[in-house]
Amino acid sequence: MSMGTRYSFSLTTFSPSGKLLQIEYALNAVSQGATTIGIKAANGVVIATEKKMPSLLIEAESVEKVAMLNEATGVTYAGMGPDFKVLLRKGRKAAQAYYRTYLEASPTQETVRELASVMQEYTQSGGVRPFGVSLLVAGCDETGPHLFQVDPSGSYWAWKAAAIGKNYISARKFLEKRYTEDLDLEDAVHTALLTLKDGFDGEMDETNIEVGVVDVETGKFRLLSEDVIREHLGNL
Amino acid sequence: MADLSFLHATKASAALPAQEMEEASFALPAVADPAAYQSQLYDPASATPLHMAHGTTTLAFVFKHGVVVAVDSRATQGQYIGSQTVKKVIEINPYLLGTMAGGAADCMFWERELGRQCRLYELRNKERISVRAASKILGNIVYNYKGMGLSMGTMVTGCDASGFSLFYVDSDGTRLEGQRFSVGSGSTFAYGVLDSGFRWDMEPEEAYDLARRAIYHATHRDAYSGGQVNLYHVREEGWVKISADNVFDLHYGYAAEAAAEADAEAAA
Amino acid sequence: MSIMTYNGAAIIAMKGKDCVAIASDTRLGIQAMTVATDFQKVFKIHDYLYLGMAGLATDVQTLDALFQFKHNMFALRENRNMSPSAFLAMVSSTLYSKRFGPYFVEPVVAGLTVKPDGSVEPYVGGTDLIGCISSPDGFAVSGTMSEALYGPCESMYKPDLEPEDLFETISQCMLAGVDRDAVSGWGVVVHIITKDEVITRHLKNRMD
Repeated sequence: MSMGTRYSFSLTTFSPSGKLLQIEYALNAVSQGATTIGIKAANGVVIATEKKMPSLLIEAESVEKVAMLNEATGVTYAGMGPDFKVLLRKGRKAAQAYYRTYLEASPTQETVRELASVMQEYTQSGGVRPFGVSLLVAGCDETGPHLFQVDPSGSYWAWKAAAIGKNYISARKFLEKRYTEDLDLEDAVHTALLTLKDGFDGEMDETNIEVGVVDVETGKFRLLSEDVIREHLGNL
Repeated sequence: MADLSFLHATKASAALPAQEMEEASFALPAVADPAAYQSQLYDPASATPLHMAHGTTTLAFVFKHGVVVAVDSRATQGQYIGSQTVKKVIEINPYLLGTMAGGAADCMFWERELGRQCRLYELRNKERISVRAASKILGNIVYNYKGMGLSMGTMVTGCDASGFSLFYVDSDGTRLEGQRFSVGSGSTFAYGVLDSGFRWDMEPEEAYDLARRAIYHATHRDAYSGGQVNLYHVREEGWVKISADNVFDLHYGYAAEAAAEADAEAAA
Repeated sequence: MSIMTYNGAAIIAMKGKDCVAIASDTRLGIQAMTVATDFQKVFKIHDYLYLGMAGLATDVQTLDALFQFKHNMFALRENRNMSPSAFLAMVSSTLYSKRFGPYFVEPVVAGLTVKPDGSVEPYVGGTDLIGCISSPDGFAVSGTMSEALYGPCESMYKPDLEPEDLFETISQCMLAGVDRDAVSGWGVVVHIITKDEVITRHLKNRMD
């Protein structure tokens, strides 16, 4: 496509003060999103998020906020749902491309890097806007369990425990108080639920949150069923 | 007793008396054009080509003290090395040697047939046949089969009343007299050594070394030559086999020699 | 004449006990004419991984450069080396990406996979020129006269050989093999890869 037929100016333009306002706005969209927690334990990782429906009439099971990237990696987000779906599709594709090349599962960091590079590209390309989401990626590979956060700018970090979305500052403080090294995965799930519950507006139950875990032993990522979540909530 | 009836002439040549033409003859394939059929049979591009041993290095030269003949001993079928111990010098009789390049079977058979005819000549004429005449018999035989798929590149050499002589005869019908020849896939490499090292008045030992080195270098460069170097010397009283050296030993022998020379030079 | 046999080559890779070996001849020919006797056909990818390539020499060199590039990029990106099986998979996808205009090369890899507990697992494997992977139990061969290499390997190979015995076995197989191939030989180089070191030796063999 030639320059003439395509709108090819980036919307993400530096302000005179040196800020990329579009990215800041994207972060605003994220901080208005659902509270989302991730905790890395010694033997696995848990990610959990609120799943509040705007209406009672919505079939809650049809909404999927914690999703599998590949066998050993899961992802969830705070921010705009449709943007997440796009990243999920691209992340899955990157993980499969890695597998097709090396016949080995993509390490967590590689999948994260691919996702981050897509998000960065959308801060510099013409005709697009940055993604309105931050991601929490949980995975296990040869080097153990990992928890990553990826922001709309394309920045990413590894966390021991992370909180994004609404009330993330107080949630992070909550986690800082609760977190211990060599945490067991079961305890990490417990802590994640406690953190969510702490800032939860209304009654938290198995239908209005989603929890995913990956454990070192099996190296498999899975969503917790409503029954399992209910059991955990009963122990809080 | 083996049936050798096919050796009896069935075809007389108008050019030479029947007696001189007592040559072998074979049943021809029952097709309209035997020569065309044969050439198709051996065509490498045909669906089912017949493979014959091809790679070789052979050489011979006449010098002051007679004729030196040297050959390699490798037989290949495509890239496969079938044998490393083929005798490519054919001892036609005590005074005549032939060399083998191209189709091993063709060379072996027709040079044995040549030996038979030379013996008959001797019995009839009470004197040995000349190298010139012997090579002409072979040349005439292969010419008769021209286009039928014979594959031979041979040298006929020996000693007769006129002295030492050397002829090149091939299955195209070429027959040349010369002072030195090399035949086969490695011949170009052998010529390189032979031509640069040849002198008429070499001592026999020098001539042997030259011939051996020429074949050795050809086996080094040419994938289809190798095995051992068989060396013959034709003298007035007939041929003598001088040596048979494995190329493995020659290579590391020459390498040690070169290293020793380099050391001596460095010391001096 | 096939383009796969234009330059000539013979390569064997063999598994031992906590070690692997890979050997190649060193001839570079133009059909029947031997042009060089010190041509490299086995390449180090990293301390625990060697790659041998038989086939068209120009493609061998091009692919060596390409695979070095790909492995270097991987190592920088992921802060680790490729495992032998991942590397062979990468080789396979690279070769298949040229399915309709292939590189004329049949690669063989020999390497050690580092297990989580720090121990090593020997690996040998190879592909055809368009990337079909085979990872046999004991040994892999490639070259212009693979029949002549398979024979000695089938009869002399034993599993779980110690490094020195593996060296002896692979060397005898190479020497026997190249002596039946007109267009390979002229020197043999053997690498034995163990957990602690790589031993490289040149064999004295026929030069015809």
